[in-house]
Amino acid sequence: MELSKILYVEDDPDIQSIAVMALETIGGLTLEVCSSGEDAIAKGDEFKPELILLDVMMPEMDGPTTLGRLREISSLSDVPAVFMTAKVTPEDVQSYKDMGVVDVIPKPFDPMTLADQVKEIWNKSHG
Amino acid sequence: MADNDKTVEEKMAALRDNYARQMTSKIDEISSHVLLIAPHGKGTNDAIAAVRALTHKLAGSGATFGFKEVSIVAREMEDACSKVIEGNDDASGLADFLDKSLDALKEASDHPDVRKENSDEKKQDSKGSGTIDDRVIRNILVLEGDKKTRSQIVRELKHFGFVASGTSHPKNIAKAIKKQKPDALVCDIVFDGDDNAALGIISELHQSGGLDCPIIVHTEIDDMPHRLAAVRAGAHNYMVKPVDMADMIDVLDAVTADGEDDPFRVLIIDDDESLSRHTELVLQGAGMMTSVLNNPMTVIEVLNDFVPELILLDLYMPDCEGHEVAAIIRQQEAFDAIPIVFLSGERDVEKQLSAMELGGDDFLTKPIRPKHLISAVRIRASRFRELRSMMVKDSMTGLYNHTTTKQLMTNEIERAKRLNQSIAMASLDIDHFKNVNDTYGHAVGDKVIKSLARLLRQRLRGADIIGRMGGEEFAALLTGATIEEAEEIFNQIRQAFSEIVFNSDIKDFSVTFSCGIAEFPTHDSVSSLSDASDKALYTAKNGGRNKVVLA
Repeated sequence: MELSKILYVEDDPDIQSIAVMALETIGGLTLEVCSSGEDAIAKGDEFKPELILLDVMMPEMDGPTTLGRLREISSLSDVPAVFMTAKVTPEDVQSYKDMGVVDVIPKPFDPMTLADQVKEIWNKSHG
Repeated sequence: MADNDKTVEEKMAALRDNYARQMTSKIDEISSHVLLIAPHGKGTNDAIAAVRALTHKLAGSGATFGFKEVSIVAREMEDACSKVIEGNDDASGLADFLDKSLDALKEASDHPDVRKENSDEKKQDSKGSGTIDDRVIRNILVLEGDKKTRSQIVRELKHFGFVASGTSHPKNIAKAIKKQKPDALVCDIVFDGDDNAALGIISELHQSGGLDCPIIVHTEIDDMPHRLAAVRAGAHNYMVKPVDMADMIDVLDAVTADGEDDPFRVLIIDDDESLSRHTELVLQGAGMMTSVLNNPMTVIEVLNDFVPELILLDLYMPDCEGHEVAAIIRQQEAFDAIPIVFLSGERDVEKQLSAMELGGDDFLTKPIRPKHLISAVRIRASRFRELRSMMVKDSMTGLYNHTTTKQLMTNEIERAKRLNQSIAMASLDIDHFKNVNDTYGHAVGDKVIKSLARLLRQRLRGADIIGRMGGEEFAALLTGATIEEAEEIFNQIRQAFSEIVFNSDIKDFSVTFSCGIAEFPTHDSVSSLSDASDKALYTAKNGGRNKVVLA
């Protein structure tokens, strides 16, 4: 099975637009784009994503909190999740992985290869 | 152009440009918080936290959009703030460090990595050409055996904002192409008495892929066999000497145009933030420029600032309904013809029709497929642009006509008042133009006018307003420029224009212009600003012409 549906949570409109380009246009993936954690919680269940991609630092509800809330929704409790973040130390990565995140993509990302990166992470988590 | 025709690179470039455009305001925002941080750094935790949050965002996005250096500098700023916030660093010196970093950030924001490869070259070539840096540089190679002709063509191409260099013999051509990577080649065909010398080499280069730019043959020979040989060698144009520079520039403009028009400007009015964001992304993905308005009560300001070419309007909003907003938009004279497309979940045809009676042009039912939305918007916006262009542009020069120029000036002054910006306004008039018409004829006079129009367009920034106010009179409004900056720019243009050689049946000649410049806010209305610049223009005329005089 190939990855096709991603629930994508990011508050910064610039990053959102280029990531949509990178994942939809270049990567051929289908996205549900959410601008906040609240938004993701509202849309997540119905969309039935195969992967959740979240920004870590967001106002109001940050990535880890959002993920925690999404995990409470039964249809999303096992969906692999990936964080994207502009600041990442090895300790951060470990603490995120402890939260059950399969991988962390550092920002700034390269839009030309983002989709491949995400697909690879997904394949690994299914391998 | 259909959405699918745009390559990923083009879409990416559009996003990158959009990001680059917003960079200044982002840096300004950071700067406004940095200002609040006291030199000793104490008691200003909110400001430091704000700087950290904003630089964090910038660090995470810069390199994605091709601004690697921006990411690096922003990351340093973020780290410095973090250290202070987490108590690992003493706050003294933070304000100073951030201040210096802001300069570095501004510098970095002017230099995306993608353009880095030839930026040094460009800097050199555009030296002394004022504000030309933000325009696309086109590189022209001139193959011409006659030294005088060669240097004249090169010089005049430079006046018109091209980067040009010459080479004297076809045997050097391969090397010159490799070095210069021209966007077009202008070449004579007869060398050492051999009328096949150049075309043979060019044809070979063309076929081997060593020359993939448009070729313009420029020769004294005008017969069918040579024209045919030129076509077979891959030439795009065949111009017979003597060629008027204005004609050659026309041809070069046409063959080097990247075919890309300015993006359509679409205003999205919808109280639902995520829906409007989605619409925006779809349209931006198709290379359009968008502005989202979630609160329709501020529509008038946004109209004047953003100047959309199409409005997508939600029919049902809490404070003010879509058809009411449409009616308000239609009351603005400048926007009474703008296409308004209602976007709504309303499926009742009766209600759709009644909304359209109140000022809408079309009705799209949500949810709308992205492809359908893009083409619906593109078709209407492009038709509006064509119509508007006929109404607002001067047909000979393509500059704004008198009425439009005045209207745009009013808008610019209003905006400058709000933003506390300076504006320089220049009035230009070609010297002794009547003599040109009387001596060389109106056709030649028209060429002179077109040349000045083109020169102004080439030398000024895209955001500057340039109008043809009447016969040989022009006006230009340089927003954000001081009177001194404008003086320097117009002196360069004046110099360049005076060096252009026009050909006529009688003889070759050159023309000059006089210019008066006035400044806002010293003169704070359209009428006082244009009166002052006109007055300065008369002083320039009376003082011997071919001058720039400040009010």
